[in-house]
Formats: sequence, structure tokens, C-alpha cells
Amino acid sequence: MTATVTAPARRRGPSKKAALPWLFLAPGLLLALVFKFLPMGKGIWLSFFKVRPFLGDKWVGLDNYTRVLSDHRFQDAIGHTLVLGVGISLGAILVGFLLALLLEGQARSLKIMRTAVFLPVVTATAVVGELWRLMYYPTSDGLVNSALGFLGIGPVPFLDNPDTALWATMAMGIWMAAPYNMVIILAGLAGVDRSLYEAAAMDGVSLWQRLRYITLPAIRPALGVVLTLAAIRGLRVFTEVYVLTGGGPAGSTDVWMTRAYTLGFSRNDLGGASAASVVLLCVTLLLTVTVNYFRKRGDVR
Amino acid sequence: MGDRRRRRRLAAALAAAGLAFGTAACGSGSGGAGSGDPNTLEVWTRSDPDSAATYDRVFAAFTKKTGIKIDYQPVVNFDQQLQARASTKDLPDVMINDTALMGSYQSQGLLKPIEPDSIAGHDQISAKSWSSTVGLDGKHYGIPYSRQAMTLMIRKDWLKKLGLTAPTTWQQMLDVAKAFAGRDPDGDGRKDTYGIVAPGSAMNGYAAWWGAGFLWQGGAQIIEPDGKGRYRPSMDSAAAVRTVTWMKDNLFCGARGVLQPGAVSAVTGTATNFQDGNAGMYMTGPYNITSFDTMLGKKTYEVVPAPAGPAGSDVLAEGENVYFGARTGKTHQERELAAFLVSAEGQKIGMTSVDGHQPVVRIPTNSTLDAAKVRGDARWSVVQKAYETASEQFPNAPDFAPIKQDTADSLNALFTYCGSDVRSGLKELNETLAGDLKDQDLLK
Repeated sequence: MTATVTAPARRRGPSKKAALPWLFLAPGLLLALVFKFLPMGKGIWLSFFKVRPFLGDKWVGLDNYTRVLSDHRFQDAIGHTLVLGVGISLGAILVGFLLALLLEGQARSLKIMRTAVFLPVVTATAVVGELWRLMYYPTSDGLVNSALGFLGIGPVPFLDNPDTALWATMAMGIWMAAPYNMVIILAGLAGVDRSLYEAAAMDGVSLWQRLRYITLPAIRPALGVVLTLAAIRGLRVFTEVYVLTGGGPAGSTDVWMTRAYTLGFSRNDLGGASAASVVLLCVTLLLTVTVNYFRKRGDVR
Repeated sequence: MGDRRRRRRLAAALAAAGLAFGTAACGSGSGGAGSGDPNTLEVWTRSDPDSAATYDRVFAAFTKKTGIKIDYQPVVNFDQQLQARASTKDLPDVMINDTALMGSYQSQGLLKPIEPDSIAGHDQISAKSWSSTVGLDGKHYGIPYSRQAMTLMIRKDWLKKLGLTAPTTWQQMLDVAKAFAGRDPDGDGRKDTYGIVAPGSAMNGYAAWWGAGFLWQGGAQIIEPDGKGRYRPSMDSAAAVRTVTWMKDNLFCGARGVLQPGAVSAVTGTATNFQDGNAGMYMTGPYNITSFDTMLGKKTYEVVPAPAGPAGSDVLAEGENVYFGARTGKTHQERELAAFLVSAEGQKIGMTSVDGHQPVVRIPTNSTLDAAKVRGDARWSVVQKAYETASEQFPNAPDFAPIKQDTADSLNALFTYCGSDVRSGLKELNETLAGDLKDQDLLK
């Protein structure tokens, strides 16, 4: 008898508890549904059509995908996207790590420095692009070229030479992304047991050994987060390229997203642009899952 | 019990807040203020805040005259926003945008056909202007609102200092450009001046937009009509090869300083060397006159016709049309607005600059008006003459957007790689253009 009375009460208790977080999440989920998942679903749907809103969309099956994947400009863009995505991600992790090591600590001056270094993250990409364009100005009046002039080099046409434009864009991307990684790695560094450093100092180990055997293992979770974010963001690089070079010159900095943008908004081919975006979504998903798999495997080991 | 009620109230409040936020955000896209009101027209123009101020005056005068209200939206990234609105099948009632986009809009079914006779004052618009609004099916899809043609803006003071005159041929232009770059026309003792400003990036098709005048002046065409409603690509012609080779060898890969630094990656927004005062020539539209007057000073530069190439001096003519969005039910009000916009009164308001704001009508499409007289500025007669006697437009009936973009991609690549083979590059472009025309079922 007792059991029959208590059982429903137990069932009702957890269900109420379980519902409350969902209620708090509801507004966010609703917004995500309206502004993220529905447009994403619409995008996937449109990728199978020749889009003509007022004349009726025409079903073309996988034609848009075939067209996009066989277009040599998209094929070139894949290469640029990979170089830029991997370069910015790894460069930003390395620079972020170095910045975190340099700026770790509680001193007031360090706080000011950290804030200053973090500024690129909160500055609009369009503004950053304009600043870097001025810095890269291809005559000796440009900031970078005037510095190179002191060394007897240049002036270098950073953004106007197809051999240098991609690397120049990568440098700006690293400059923008590194401080974000720095903050995550700083949080990881804060959790490192100081007594390990003291013990290492007493044992007389080198700086490299300290990094290799104490710091890096300790910040592995933070690096995992940074790597996952880099995998998600790396391939969808767009704004940096769009504001700095627009994909030029001669398509030398064209990445997957700038091609998709040109297809959608310069050529009014929304079906093709949707197909290109869906391909990118699939590749990004695959990359994220792969990075997570290796991260978890590393954690278990 | 009380707890449960509180939780329910909390849940209801959260859900309502979420819904309200969601619907408010959705609402901003399609149902602009007053769009349900039959006496209010939602009007979009591709304008920055500066020219929007002039449109505000035009629409205020229209509302005062007719009582029809205008829900005006100046949109900078017009094409993106329009595609977004089109995907919801809810377009603005009236749009004012480029003539060359008419084919693109019509091919997507975004426009309502227009009977010229139904617009009061239609007979004051020239037959030439009306002919530029005919679509592939022979119907009109726009009402001519403003026209313009490119001219050469050139530093008068620099010419005087170096004892030169404004160029009338390509070779003279090249000589002047070299002198501007090499003979210190600003007298500061430094080699920091340049000859010609070129927005040569492929982004948004700029290389084709700026280069079109040179192509025509060299006797080349991008695509040619066959007279029976079809087109053939013609960028593999001998004239095209000659012209692009001349541009590459003399402008982009020629003597140092003939073009401004970074020309191959410049768009109009970043090609500011003329107004910055360090470049001497800029082939551009007259909409820049107001800002050049402010930044450089009216006495510093002059407006002259484009230097002639081997086949003439035709420049790019452009303009804006008034378009009616498909499937909107306010035909009477739309026609009233269009009639006011093309009337002498409406065009005069759009042509005048108040508080230094950009005028939105350049060369009036109303043939009773004279641009130079309305503005009291003789420079506008140079522009009007160029439009009337020595200009060409991009074809407006086909969807020219992909054709312009592919041409720009190709030209930009040829200008960037100075060792490139122009003939094979243009042959490849021609094949791409044939594909574009075939996609539109227009290839001859």
C-alpha cells in the first residue's frame, strides 16, 4: 500500500524538476529555433532548388552541389580556406599561449596590458580590416612598410601581390583571434599547482622542460576548448577576408564563404550559395566531431 | 499549490517574453511601419544616410501634395536585403535602384510590369530612356528616374603647374598620368602623387564596371545582341584583346605611379586617392562632384569628357529606375508616387543639394529640365552631353549580374599577373560568358 502511494510522488517530483531548466531555456531555444535552426533548415531545403521566390522555386536535385563542387574557383577556394583556417587556428593558439605565459599574474599593470591585448577581439572586424589595410599600405607611407624601410626592405605590396595576400590576411586573422585564446589559456594556467613549479625550480629543470611536463599537461582541458572552437571557426573564415581583400587579387584570397557570398549576392544564385554553405556545414561538423573524438581519447589516456 | 502557481506564472511569463521577443524581431523584416495601411507606401532606395536626406525631402513634398504617406527605408546593402525580403515573398511597394539590375530582378519575378501610359507625365521622358526599361518579354519593368555618365575628373591646378592640358586621347592621358606621378605636381618635394585612380578589384564586379569604358573606347563589347532577343559573348575579339593588353601593359603593369598603389584590390570605397589629394585623375560618376567639391574644393579640379580610344570615347552610362514590387496591391498610390518622382517638381527636388547632402537625381529623365541650369553649374552640361552623345549602358534586359562578375574576375586576374597571356585569358572568359548566357537561355 505504502509503495503504491509513494511511487507516483517520486515520478511527479523529478518531472517537475526536469521541466524547470527547460522553462528557463525556452526563450533562448525559441530564439535559436527562429533565427538559427529554421533558417538553417530553409538553407538546406533551398540548396536543392533553383531559387525564384516569385516565379516558383524549381527542383534541381543535386545540380547545385555538382555545380559548386566542380567549379574550379570553389576548388581553389577550398585550398585557400584550409591554409587560412589551419594557419589562423594554429597561429592564434601559439600566439595566445605565448601571450598567456607573458601576461599571467595578478599585478595591476598586467591587468591593463591584458585589457589592451584583448581589444582586437571586441573591435568590429570591419574596423580591424580598415586599420590593417592602412598598416599594409603598399608604399613606404604604410606603417608596416615604413618599419621594413628601416631594415632596408620593401616596400612590399602585401595585399596586391597574389603570393603574399593570403599570408597577410592570415597575420590579421591571428592578431584578431589570439587574445581570445589567451583568455581561455590564462584560465587554464590559473589552475596550475604552483608547488610543481617550485619543485621543478629546486630540481633545476629547464624552461622548456617546465613547459613540456608541467604547464602543457595542466592546461590540456583549456587547449581542448580552444582547439574545438578553432575547428568550428577555422573553416568558416569570411569577414576577415571580405573586409581586407574581398577575395582578391585574382582570387588569391578567395575562401569558401566569400565564393558562396559572391554566388548568392553578386550572381543572385541563392540555390548554389545554399549548396556551398551546406557543404561547409557538413565539413565543419565532421571536423568538430573528429577534434572532439581525439580530444576525448587524449583525456582518457 | 502556491509554489506550483508561481512556477506556472513564471513559465508563462518566460514563454510570453520569448514569443514577444521572437515576433518583434521577425516583424522588423517584413512588415515595416504602416505597410498594412493602404495609404502608406513602403519605399526602398539604395542609399547611404547622406543621399537618404535628399530622398526624405522628395518624399515629404510628395506626401504634402498627395496625402499618401511614405514608409521610407534607405538600404545600403540593398541586394542582400532585397533577396532576404524576396525569400519571404513580401517586397517593398516601390524600389529605386540601378537600371542594370532590372534584368536580374525580372528574371527572379520580383517586379510588376508597367504600362508607360499609366504614369502621368510619361511623355516627358525620352523614348531612349523608356527603351532602357524594356525586359526580355517586351514589357516595361521600370520607370526611368535618374541617369548619369562617367566623365574624367582631373586636377586643374596640377595641369597648370606642369604646363599641361586635359587629355583627349588615351596616349595623352597616359602622358599626363606619368607627369602627375613623376614631376611632383603638388610641389612637396616627394614622389607621393599618382596619375589615375582605378577601382580594379573583382569584388562586386568593379573591374568590369570601371573598365567598361575602356573596352567600348577600344571597340570591344562584353556581350552583343543578335537583334532577335539573343546574345553572343564577344570578349575573345581582336579589339578586346588589344584593349585589355593596352590596359594591362600601360596602366596596371606600366610605369610606376600611373595608377594609385593597390589598384588591383581597390573598390570605390577604398579608392579615395583623388579626394585625398594624391592622385590627379579619376574616371567616375558625377555623384562624386558634391563630395569632391567639399573635400578638394571646386576650383581644384575640372570635369572633362573621357579621353578617346581607337574606337571613340563612349563611357559607361548608368541610372536608377523606379520599380514596383511584384504582388503588392497599391497600384494607384504607386503610380502617383512614380508620376511625382519623374515630374519636373520631383526631379528638381532630387537634383538640388541642401546642407551639402548628395543629390539623388543626376541627369534628369524629365526632358523639360537641364541639369546645368537647375544646378547653376556648367560642369553638369559635360555630364549631360556625355550621357546623350557618348555613352553606353550595360544591357538591362538579360541578368547582367553574373556576366559583370565573371568579366571582373577575369580582368582582375589579367591585371594582377603582369606576365599573363591576355588572349588565352579572354578566350576562357568568353567560354564562361557563353555558359552564363546559356543558363539564361539567351545564347545565340
